[in-house]
Amino acid sequence: MADPKEVKRLQKLAYEMRKKLINLCGSYDGIVHIGGDLSMTDLLIGLYHHGMKVDPTDIKNPKRDRFLLSKGHGAVCMYIAMSLRGYFDYDEIVRTYAQLDSAYGMHPCKLQLPGVECSTGSLGQGLAIAVGMAFSARLKKEAHRVFCMMGDGETCEGEVWEAANTAGSYKLGNLVGIVDRNKQLMTSFDGDYMHLEPYADKWRAFNWNVVEIDGHDMRQIADVLDNLPPVNNNKPTAIIASTTKGKGVHFMENDLGWHAGALSKVDMERAMADIEAGYAKIGGAK
Amino acid sequence: MKVTFNFGSFLSARSVAGDTIMELGQKYNKVWALTADTGGALKQFKKDFPDRYIDTGVAEQNLAGIAAGLALEGNIPFIFGMIPFMVMRACEQNRTAICYQDLPVRFIGTGGGLTSGGGSTHNAMEDISIMKSLVNMTVLSIGDPNMVRDIMLLSMDYPHPLYLRLAQGKQDRMLYEPGKYIYKIGMGLTAREGKDATIIAHGEMVFEALEAANALASEGINTRVVDMYSIKPLDNDLVIKAVKETGNILVLEDHLMDGGLASTVADLFADSGVYPKKFKRLGIPQIYAGFGSGEELRKKYGYDKTAAVAAVKKMLR
Repeated sequence: MADPKEVKRLQKLAYEMRKKLINLCGSYDGIVHIGGDLSMTDLLIGLYHHGMKVDPTDIKNPKRDRFLLSKGHGAVCMYIAMSLRGYFDYDEIVRTYAQLDSAYGMHPCKLQLPGVECSTGSLGQGLAIAVGMAFSARLKKEAHRVFCMMGDGETCEGEVWEAANTAGSYKLGNLVGIVDRNKQLMTSFDGDYMHLEPYADKWRAFNWNVVEIDGHDMRQIADVLDNLPPVNNNKPTAIIASTTKGKGVHFMENDLGWHAGALSKVDMERAMADIEAGYAKIGGAK
Repeated sequence: MKVTFNFGSFLSARSVAGDTIMELGQKYNKVWALTADTGGALKQFKKDFPDRYIDTGVAEQNLAGIAAGLALEGNIPFIFGMIPFMVMRACEQNRTAICYQDLPVRFIGTGGGLTSGGGSTHNAMEDISIMKSLVNMTVLSIGDPNMVRDIMLLSMDYPHPLYLRLAQGKQDRMLYEPGKYIYKIGMGLTAREGKDATIIAHGEMVFEALEAANALASEGINTRVVDMYSIKPLDNDLVIKAVKETGNILVLEDHLMDGGLASTVADLFADSGVYPKKFKRLGIPQIYAGFGSGEELRKKYGYDKTAAVAAVKKMLR
């Protein structure tokens, strides 16, 4: 089980990250995909600050773990998680986000921003690309893993299941798919039109090793990443992380209006207060 | 494989591609062969290099994504498949996963134009138009089966996405003795000299164009034939030279008349301000063709050698 001190450290990073997200969302003169950013904040902190073997000073090291953000509209969340790890300068992200000639776009571009493994943004495409990277790592007998973060909404795309089928068939044990299972699509809740359940069973049926966690419980996140099967496992692993869209800001939580949005000064202050309160509730100290 | 060259006799371009991928697979550990359940040409490769052979079943979008992932890791993936599904089913993956990131994925597609014999589901009449519109994509159309090998070899040093449109793939006419020409991306070749008019063709239509030129020669008309295997980038100089030296240009292709080589050549005229005396295009009209062989359909829709002869004569009238 994860060291409680490590869990506290990660919780603090997630708290700082939420504040940075809200600050950016309030500073930027346009919409930010804040709902899905907040739902995967804890997961990205767990990955970039605990689970993945990565080094911001050595971004081309072939032994590094690979991360693909299939839900590319959450790019800013990834930029900030990476900036907290030392990849990028947060102030530069805030200053230039989505502006002309910025490397920090609404959807991540590998060619513009070294450190990003893959350009994404068209939903449902990440997993297949991750499968290709996992094939390559296996052939080269490399020990790293390929992590692919998906939104549950994008798993309505057929290509996701084509890729899941291939990964299961070819027993790509070095592949880890993570689903930010926030149970919302852009304009509807899971169940309004599309019924994604039984969700974990679908991955199991494609011959994946499935682990279900609370995607906001940092201890569970650290534990699942610490206890991944070896890379030569005969199944890829799916981490189905149950999350809340807009997590940590009460007026955003489970509200379809906050898939993407802009924050007024007043709302920004309310959101910051919520994040402070949420952090205090789990015993966090600033 | 040792090839006995006889002009106009048949050889399978798909087999040449299969032999060449073996050759490349032996030489380079970064060469992978990928297919969505159409790996007929890859029998030996999958036997010798099972770890670098991926068959996803009928899942072309996934296959394009996997190719992107392999290429991101420094590999050179060759996708083998039937053109309509490789190009159209996976169009957005080809664009966004592969071309946007400018990855060296090779697409080797069979059944160019109306040669598939499968009807409109399997015909490939829009592929050049679609593929040439993708930024960073290079588009080649190859008729002579031996040329496939040379192009695949040279592709190892080419850092961008590359689409090779083959003709039918099983029964392809040999046009050039192996080793006679050095092929390059961005170049075409003059398959026959002439001064009265030029037929610019690609793929299996080059053979039709040469036959048309022979027929015209018996009537005293001296027709140049250009094999424009590189459609994007186009060999601008070769086209302009043909305009200046022969005046009249006929584009003959097994593709929709809109959006293919003819449109590319017409764009060049507009952009360069160098215009032919007369310009005519023959190819597939706006129609979903019925069933039949490529030869039968070319005749039915008016873009075979007989139609080419008539078009050149009309231009010279």
